[in-house]
Amino acid sequence: MEKVLTDFVRALRNSNVRVSPAETIDAVSVIDSVGYEDKELLKRTLSIVLSKTPDEKDKFNSCFDDFFSDEIKQQVSVDMDQLSDIKDVDSDLAKKLLEGSQGELMLSIADAAEEAEIREIRYFTQRSVFTRRILEKMGVGKLEDELMQLGSSREDELPSDLEQELRNQLTNLRERVSDYVQQQFLLHGDVSGEQLREQIFKSMNMAQIDRSYLNEVHSLVRKMAKKLANLHSRRKKNFKKGKLDIRKTIRDNWVNQGILFNLSWAYKKVDRPKIYVICDVSGSVGAYARFMLMFLFSLTEVVSKLRGFVFSSNLGEVTNDFKDAKLDEAIEKALQKHGGGSTDYGQALTDFVSLCLDEIDNKTTVVILGDARNNFGPEKAHLMKTIKERSKQVFWLNPEGKYRWDTGDSVMTKYSAYCTKVFQCGNIDQLERVVSTLLKTAI
Amino acid sequence: MTDGPKKIIKDITKGFAKHGYICSEQIATAVFLASQLEKPILIEGPPGVGKTELANTAALYFKKEMIRLQCYEGLDESKALYEWRYGKQLLYTQILKEQMQEVLEGAKGLKESLDRLMKFEDIFFSEDFLETRPLLEALTSEKGSVLLIDEVDKSDEEFEALLLEILSEFQISIPELGVRKADIKPLVVLTSNNSREIGDALKRRCLHLYIPFPDAKLERQIVQARVPEISESMQIQLVNFVQGIRELDLKKLPAISETIDWAKTVILLNSEELDAKLAEDTLNVLLKHQQDIEVVKKEIPALVSSATETSDGKSLN
Repeated sequence: MEKVLTDFVRALRNSNVRVSPAETIDAVSVIDSVGYEDKELLKRTLSIVLSKTPDEKDKFNSCFDDFFSDEIKQQVSVDMDQLSDIKDVDSDLAKKLLEGSQGELMLSIADAAEEAEIREIRYFTQRSVFTRRILEKMGVGKLEDELMQLGSSREDELPSDLEQELRNQLTNLRERVSDYVQQQFLLHGDVSGEQLREQIFKSMNMAQIDRSYLNEVHSLVRKMAKKLANLHSRRKKNFKKGKLDIRKTIRDNWVNQGILFNLSWAYKKVDRPKIYVICDVSGSVGAYARFMLMFLFSLTEVVSKLRGFVFSSNLGEVTNDFKDAKLDEAIEKALQKHGGGSTDYGQALTDFVSLCLDEIDNKTTVVILGDARNNFGPEKAHLMKTIKERSKQVFWLNPEGKYRWDTGDSVMTKYSAYCTKVFQCGNIDQLERVVSTLLKTAI
Repeated sequence: MTDGPKKIIKDITKGFAKHGYICSEQIATAVFLASQLEKPILIEGPPGVGKTELANTAALYFKKEMIRLQCYEGLDESKALYEWRYGKQLLYTQILKEQMQEVLEGAKGLKESLDRLMKFEDIFFSEDFLETRPLLEALTSEKGSVLLIDEVDKSDEEFEALLLEILSEFQISIPELGVRKADIKPLVVLTSNNSREIGDALKRRCLHLYIPFPDAKLERQIVQARVPEISESMQIQLVNFVQGIRELDLKKLPAISETIDWAKTVILLNSEELDAKLAEDTLNVLLKHQQDIEVVKKEIPALVSSATETSDGKSLN
């Protein structure tokens, strides 16, 4: 019976419920005490042991219902005795179809499926391939040959009962196998297409992601941001043991009659970094800015002092919008307010310098996202130099491919001279890598 | 095992009802599993659905001592596990000083003094000076206990790591004394309001129970058990009204505890029938945010009429 359970666990994992081996062992011992008889009870108990968030509980319920559904399709069986010329066929499959019970047939489908490595099925497009493969393993080819022979041996009479029956059974068999494959796909495949979609989103150029997918991309970004946050949050908490805090020690030890029994240390907190993000939201790069802001503001757990600025010609701060409102609204608002104009990097840098140059110190990281296409205006690269000198580091993220830098009105090289590092950042995968580097060096 | 699991679960449901806690089958199953597998249960759900109450009732039902640990940010092992009685330890060293004279009397040379000192029994770190805190108390309790670790999500991540040893092995390592193991494993209940995602390591060690807002039928049973004075028609109307409110988009939805408070209020006011005025006057019992009250105020007529309508036809029965 354990195989049923492990199969079910596999199906659960497949529908994105995370189940650890330890939990599977728990489930086995639970089933020892509640048994398989009462389906409702089984569902309730397994749900408590295996699914650990409300979201997972939902998935668990639907997966359980799918997996333990006991629908068995009834087939119309023909009275075999009426078929006189049953000896004319001798392939195994034909005999099984004509004489075997439903159970045996199901068993041989399962065996053939095992041989065809049905467990490897991943995408829904593979269903027909696997159906075909299973049928071949079962010997459909031979049966078809025999049917051909039966067909050719008669002149132009009606097909015999046997032939007719075999053809019917064969059609039934095809249906059954395709049902079986569908069921196995639910268990082993990427049912929701989520993994596939995530993979595609990650490597797709961010500007080309359709707006209707924004929600999904957002949850993907949040997932990635959370991973990064977990990775880096520990470092933030590292305290350094400082010097003896005499005042606190004396105060704490009054209870011990003034004997300094418990020493208190003045802990030194590691300085929290400041990150300033400047995003170009003009027509050409707006789409990238959206993801950049999305990513960074999903990281507020780790990066406490984050300020965001957007510009197309004039620069404006958006930090508060992102802190208060929902992320989607904030992004829309920022794009509406500042986006769409013609780009002027020179003006934006001037604004930034006059707005917060004083606050930039040697713990500050400045991140600029833009394609450096300046419409042939004054680039004012000396401002970049000032920023670079005052700050800890300056990152430039360019969504365009490297081969397009410095073509046309792009002045990438002029700016990159004053950057600590320049990244190409066109898809979410690259974005993640950049943010990871950022957290590593900035915190 | 003499009784089937189904019977035990039924007994739990009945036993809990006797103590005024109406539980769904899911909850009863979770309690059964927790006592069967001797594993902790992590209970999640919106505030006010009776997570803490479940632990209280379990303690009454299993006739065990209830030990509660309220979590908050900055909770550490000296407040949760154990602490040394520093004052007593200091006094002990004072006594020791006097005793030392006798022990060392007549000793020749430093080496002999040291040898004698080593032979001298030392109880500086011993059970006598150990102040037990809730977690250690739960493990050492002689009758067995129900340990409620309330609102784990409020504590720091480090504290979670501290819990791991206790929850999986039911033991605590005290560096000076060694490992303390539980003789009778306590029934551990953890609750969380999900203000922070609980770590996977902790979740893996626990059974997980999610208590949602109850459906109308269950909520009526709960109101009946908690406020038995209320008339049946009033009870149905109240519950339907609250169920209606939960459909709205509010900052904080009213939970069971609010429904019960409301029912008590209505009894105090001696009202027989739910009408728009009564609802409006007592809305602040149900809702805790001014914005929410304003949203619901607009909907009151519709809510009241649908609540009373369904109760007349008893269609929900």
